[in-house]
Amino acid sequence: MSVGEALDVTLLTLKVGATATAAIALPAVATGYLLSRWRSPLRPLVQTVVSLPMVLPPVAVGLVLLLLFARSAPLGRAVEACFGAPLLLTWWAAALASAVMSFPLFVMGAMQGFDAVPPRLEQVAASLGASRARVLLSITLPHAARGVACGAVAAFARALGEFGATALVAGRIRGETETLSLAIYDRIEQFKSADAVAFAALSLALALLTIGAVELLRRK
Amino acid sequence: MNTFELHAEYPGFTLDATASWDGDATALFGASGSGKSTILEALAGLRPAVRGPIELRGRRLDGLPARRRAIGWVPQDASLFPRMTARENVDFAARLHGDRNAAERAIEVLELATLLDRSAAALSGGERQRIAIARALASRPDFLLLDEPLASIDRPLRARIVPFLARIPAELGVPLLLVTHDPLEVAALTRHVIVVEKGRCVAAGAPAAIFAAPAAFGAFELGAENSFAVNVGGRSPGLLDVVTPHGCVLRVADVPGFPLPARVAIRATAIVVATRRPEEVLVENVLAGTVRSVAIEGEQLALRVEAAGETWIVRTARRAAEPAALAPGREAWLLIRAADLVPSG
Repeated sequence: MSVGEALDVTLLTLKVGATATAAIALPAVATGYLLSRWRSPLRPLVQTVVSLPMVLPPVAVGLVLLLLFARSAPLGRAVEACFGAPLLLTWWAAALASAVMSFPLFVMGAMQGFDAVPPRLEQVAASLGASRARVLLSITLPHAARGVACGAVAAFARALGEFGATALVAGRIRGETETLSLAIYDRIEQFKSADAVAFAALSLALALLTIGAVELLRRK
Repeated sequence: MNTFELHAEYPGFTLDATASWDGDATALFGASGSGKSTILEALAGLRPAVRGPIELRGRRLDGLPARRRAIGWVPQDASLFPRMTARENVDFAARLHGDRNAAERAIEVLELATLLDRSAAALSGGERQRIAIARALASRPDFLLLDEPLASIDRPLRARIVPFLARIPAELGVPLLLVTHDPLEVAALTRHVIVVEKGRCVAAGAPAAIFAAPAAFGAFELGAENSFAVNVGGRSPGLLDVVTPHGCVLRVADVPGFPLPARVAIRATAIVVATRRPEEVLVENVLAGTVRSVAIEGEQLALRVEAAGETWIVRTARRAAEPAALAPGREAWLLIRAADLVPSG
């Protein structure tokens, strides 16, 4: 394994993780906010649906995505019509799979962040004349920022290590969709143990960095 | 004119409170759990479950969201925005209404200029309360609702804050509605009191009239059984000499900026009773008198003592004295600290 190859795989992994995390940021924060504030009998049901990717086998999630975004499926055709190329077997597909698998972690972090904001602060801001949007942007979000950031880093870490769903929708195309976890599996299949261990070491370094970032945020 | 008719059902608690009042400084008074904070939050629009008409300063508020009520609400814990400085807290309200004048005036009246650059988290309890009040005033409210503003503040600091609160209606033109379970706060800050008990408004009137009847104190579980009309007789550094209608001279704390008192009040439990003439005791008021009655009330002795021309109600721990030593007809001396006598205008 050359240094260039290791660098390419690592950078692609980071690109997939960052894209996935950025893509789910808004919906995850919005869902976390709703789950934190919504007092409805339907709330546990919604929470269960949101958590499904965490308990389903990743391959099953990948299969669902495969069926949804196949060129013969309506969604797949719509994507192809919009972007001029199919989604599957591209790094975008890897990012999509990572986004779906990471979504529950981001939502949980955000929800914990919103849960930690004293409702009194929001009530005071409303009594001072602030609109709901102003209360959310000026009071709630800044006070929930740590939880949201923890959720984002946890989601990013999950995206970096995603394998099952990604393998199904993005394939294992060297230089195009091969992330670190796919590369490890590929080298093991090819009996290149030293390369597999080297990619695993890179994964470990990235994991340590992200876990360290989560701990820093929690203690801050 | 201000009125409300509030109704709500909570598990184990029913709110059915009706009141109307006029004037610029009013207290909602009652024991903990009586429903007074619920009433205050309902007036501020923060209790959607509470129904009924609300009219403050002639303006109908029920049905309006909290942000459109023009109510300055200060919760008991002040609830400053902790990630902001004191100035940013006040500016938050000022920016919403595009008027710095109200904020600057509140900062001036509450003497906050030196605190503004400090983090909200670094302020003391009293400072937080004053910033929270300034923040509420910066929103140019039609009415200021204060929930137990002095509850978490120790006694010497209360003496500093009371004058600030007392100045708000006159100097800023914003009427106060104050929630408290402390009759001394009522006496010091308000001219009208609404007594709340088990979710209902059970009495209303001038503090002097409400608190003058000992029966009322029993009924409302109050504490300041002793309240006297007074005239100011003299002034010395830090102290005022006041005289009751029967000629009892009392020394009370002279708080700068606070108007001369027309009444003073003190809780029965704040008076120390001695069965021998005390000597070299550093207390501003020592009154010689005679015990008229003694009653055992649980772990307390309730005494009625005539001293310096007035009748005083005193409560002391039963273990602190033998009832026989305080039998009717025995001599007794009452020790009263000036700081425990609360003046009201």
